[in-house]
Amino acid sequence: MGTRALEIVRPRRPTWVRLAENVPIHVFFIVAGILWAIPAIGLLVTSLRPVDLFNVSGWWTAFGAPHQLSLANYHSLFASSLIAGSFVNSVLIAVPATVIPVVLATMAAYAFTWLNFPGRTALFLLLIALMVVPLQMALIPIAQVYAVFGPPGIVRVFLFHAAFAVPYATFLFRNFFLGIPHELLESARMDGARDARIFTSLILPLAFPAIASFAVFQFLWVWNDLLVGLVFAGNTPPVTVAILQQMRNFGSSVDVISAASFLSLIPPLLLFFAFQRYFVQGLLAGSVKG
Amino acid sequence: MSTTVSAAPAAGVDERLGRAAQAPRQEPKWNLTTVGFLLPAGLFVGLFIVYPVIATVIRSFFNRAGDSFVGFGNYGQVFSDGRTLHALQNNIIWVVIFPAAVTGLGVLFAVLLERVPYRLLIRTLLFMPMAVSLLASGVIWRIMYQQSPDTGALNAVIASVANAITHPGHYTGAAPSQPDLVQAVGDGYQLNQSLAPGDVAHVGLIRFPVAEIPASARPAQDPAPQPGKIVGVVWRDFKPGGGGQVGQVDPGESGLPDMTVQLVDPKGVVAAQTQSDATGDFAFGNLNGGSYFLVLPAQNFHPPFGGVQWLGSSLVTPAIILAAIWVWVGFATVTIGAGLATMSRDLLEAARVDGATEWQVFRRVTVPLLSPLMIVVFITLVINVLKIFDLVLAIAPQSVIPDANVIALQLFLVAFTGLGDFGIGSAIAVFLFLLVIPVMGFNIRRFRGGEA
Amino acid sequence: MKGRSALRALVLGVVGAVVLTACGTGSTTPSGKPLAGKKVEIAAVWSKDEQKNFEAVLAAFSDKTGATATFTSTGDKIGTVLGSRIASNSPPDVAVLPQPGLLHDLAVKGSLKELDSATASLVSQNYAAVWKDLGTVNGKFYGVFYKAANKSTVWYNVKAFGQAGVTPPKSIDDATRVLTTLAASGVKPLSIGGADGWTLTDWFENVYLRLAGPDKYDALTKHTIKWTDDSVKATLRVLAALFQDQLIAGGRSGALQTDFPTSVSNIAGNPPKAAIVYEGDFVEGILTGTAHMTPITDFNFFPFPDINGSPPSVMGGGDVVVRFTDNPAAVELVKYLASPEAAQIWAAKGGFSSANKKVDLSVYPDPIAKASAQALVNAQVFRFDMSDQAPAAFGGTTGSGEWADLQAWLKAPNNIDAATAQLEKDAAAAYGS
Repeated sequence: MGTRALEIVRPRRPTWVRLAENVPIHVFFIVAGILWAIPAIGLLVTSLRPVDLFNVSGWWTAFGAPHQLSLANYHSLFASSLIAGSFVNSVLIAVPATVIPVVLATMAAYAFTWLNFPGRTALFLLLIALMVVPLQMALIPIAQVYAVFGPPGIVRVFLFHAAFAVPYATFLFRNFFLGIPHELLESARMDGARDARIFTSLILPLAFPAIASFAVFQFLWVWNDLLVGLVFAGNTPPVTVAILQQMRNFGSSVDVISAASFLSLIPPLLLFFAFQRYFVQGLLAGSVKG
Repeated sequence: MSTTVSAAPAAGVDERLGRAAQAPRQEPKWNLTTVGFLLPAGLFVGLFIVYPVIATVIRSFFNRAGDSFVGFGNYGQVFSDGRTLHALQNNIIWVVIFPAAVTGLGVLFAVLLERVPYRLLIRTLLFMPMAVSLLASGVIWRIMYQQSPDTGALNAVIASVANAITHPGHYTGAAPSQPDLVQAVGDGYQLNQSLAPGDVAHVGLIRFPVAEIPASARPAQDPAPQPGKIVGVVWRDFKPGGGGQVGQVDPGESGLPDMTVQLVDPKGVVAAQTQSDATGDFAFGNLNGGSYFLVLPAQNFHPPFGGVQWLGSSLVTPAIILAAIWVWVGFATVTIGAGLATMSRDLLEAARVDGATEWQVFRRVTVPLLSPLMIVVFITLVINVLKIFDLVLAIAPQSVIPDANVIALQLFLVAFTGLGDFGIGSAIAVFLFLLVIPVMGFNIRRFRGGEA
Repeated sequence: MKGRSALRALVLGVVGAVVLTACGTGSTTPSGKPLAGKKVEIAAVWSKDEQKNFEAVLAAFSDKTGATATFTSTGDKIGTVLGSRIASNSPPDVAVLPQPGLLHDLAVKGSLKELDSATASLVSQNYAAVWKDLGTVNGKFYGVFYKAANKSTVWYNVKAFGQAGVTPPKSIDDATRVLTTLAASGVKPLSIGGADGWTLTDWFENVYLRLAGPDKYDALTKHTIKWTDDSVKATLRVLAALFQDQLIAGGRSGALQTDFPTSVSNIAGNPPKAAIVYEGDFVEGILTGTAHMTPITDFNFFPFPDINGSPPSVMGGGDVVVRFTDNPAAVELVKYLASPEAAQIWAAKGGFSSANKKVDLSVYPDPIAKASAQALVNAQVFRFDMSDQAPAAFGGTTGSGEWADLQAWLKAPNNIDAATAQLEKDAAAAYGS
């Protein structure tokens, strides 16, 4: 076609013309930017105002009356062990719920990639099928199993999350391992290294980007989860459940609710900005999981 | 994007899986190493996913106590119980609106972002709601959706427009103290009896907040008739502290200033218009005899915009869907944007050079090229919307949960609150599972197709 | 957590039992007080301020008798805690139960001791007959109502009433007139916290008790009559007449968005968003606390109005003292808690009402607490909150059972047959009948 040649022929318009042409688009994005930023700002400002004002005037009035703002809600949040404790619970749940599937799934993915065993394809197909099983399918039987054993709430929650991450994580890691040159593995085997050693000292370090993608996604998934915590956490609720428990009286507890909600956004947003690349990859790949 | 993980979820299956797995030289066999690598994951998956799937299916055929087989009884309940049906109906609304809206907006944003230099900023902003919990997003929107325009940002915006169009009157909510002498005309009022010069009109009003009376108001007095004029008084026919007589200007009852008063002739033409004074008095002179009707037009009573009740029974589901769109548009934009970035520029340029308009380029080139990715995004959204739970629980006030209900929430409510019916809960779970089975088949087909 | 606290209770119980046995075998110590050296353990849900106030009562008991009374706070899971201690054969000597249903269950199980005749006659003298009946199961007397709560109190903004020139209504017909006059004066008469289902059940119970009478109330509580009964429909009709859009702040749909604390603060403010809010005596704390209102000058209450000449009736709650052992110090403690002195100590500290007729009303710290207590004492009919006695799935769960059904009814209050049918369906499932 020779499009490139043609492109050169085409006269280049001055920058200001192109900018002016795009005015509607700029307006569109300014509006969109406002639409996406304002609600979050509303939460932050609400969390800085006394609860009495919530039912009287809008949060935006604080911009004209900055004396409304204080950290008092955050102080009282930490004065009560309920919410403060729930942040600890969330960490205690999210960390093992991330680490366990990383270990299990990297191992399984190794087997699916480099070990040859009968039924390998069938098992992997099963795993792919299980990837989309809604976790709602497991709530009732697991609740019954837990009722018999009765370990403390936090363990119940992270075991459940860990298990439901395994199929997707295994799939993700196998996908990644397939990109590792086979010769690398063969030469290690030639040198007499056993699979356990190849796995720990060769594959795992190489797999860091995939592990990071998965870990960031999984940590956030668990941190943000409400349903599993609601069903299994008992009296050691994660922060989402603790906030929900305050929501019965929204108008009169909005001080606690907004402050706790805003605090609960901080770890995800930090992770988001720190690991944006891994985050987006993990999220896009994981968005279909059950 | 990166060489590691594909940006496109491709319904969970990456194209590269299509390459045949590398074949090690050994004969396929199970040995200790294989078992060691697979067993831990196998145990977790077996106990927490495979067993529950089977157990839930079995449980769904037993009654609440779990001791008697009821066949498809629970499923019958699910599809006959009003609340569950309402939840199902809401899910249908969700599935019809949400995935299409988000995918469409995602394409729009992604394509337009290609044309601006600050695309990273916008993309980050759009994507941020995906990072935080749906519960927190729900809290955010619950604050936005407050009904009073004084406290809810969304209604405040609507109110500023609405009140500029229909100016609120002085005396909103006012009603006549003697309804039998007065008829409503639209939002205004008209005395039943016609008036002639020399008559005196009494219009007592009640039921409006005292705060609406301007500070200039003075106590009302019964005006004396004046020859050739129609005079009258509008006053608050309620004596503070009680004790006044209805229809009579009692001492201490306030006049209502600034009320617009009209005389309308029998043909319905406005013959004269005036404003009441501080004591609520008004007078019409220069009349050509004849009879007139006294009208207090609607403009006196226009209520200010009271706020859309976003979280009431009828609007709660659309309101939650709107919030969900806000959350998920970033996902669609980034996914489709990634696809767009890999698209051949040459093709687009070629089309442009051939004289195609931007719209034609979009319609004929961009959309067809993006359609596989759009389908993937769409399917992902459908799966997620079937399981929507947190947002509904967070945004809907307790009393409208039945109106906002969806099946994943109904499952939770049936199984884990109140009576705790695991039988019906299991049936709902199985139903949910059946809905995602096509996706499961799709994934497997793609994987096998690639592997072959 | 649950496991741990049960374990702690168990350990405490065992230790307590050992100590008690040791004391029981010891001889009386040389002191003027009859029970010197004896120990008694009493368990209740109270914590924080309530615990502190009650411990002052126990200290007075110790001063008087010489016995040492120790308090164990069970937290709100008192049924579970007591159950596990009874199972391990080490119950506390005395417990204060917040739900009459629990008294009934424990009595039927045979865990409770029948109270001695001295205590029984003290209760007969000091309390209206209804209280003794409430503590009696199958003809045996088990429980003394030490603390009571009045949920038949209607709270109003004094200035709004003054502006409208109305006085607290005595009967439901009066009430209708008062509401109309308030509306004419330009203030919304009623504030309803319909976002919380239990406020609606409390409304229902107050009207039902007065309209249908205590016998039907008991029958409906036990679900021996159906929710489709005409008495239920009549009650909903009375409520529908009150709950008109123009009489409610925000209309009915606004009420369904209003949670209970907000519904209370609606009657504060100048001008207030509404003039009247109905709920139990705990409303006073919200009005003086978060709403910064002054009793009597800013707000006051009146008893829930009579219907068709119904006798003074109170719907409410109460904490009942029961005994698990025959430890003489425990016998004495229960008797002491039936006395006016024991009630007056806490009453003077606030946050407490007693149904004991002999309690000197002047000890109550403010006129409102006094008036609320007086209504309890004078009640010819007292009934417990019905929904508190129903299975939790019906009467105590957000989003299901009676709470949700009454909320649904409030959306279309004239749709009475549909509402009662749904109530009956949910009740039948929850009561298992």
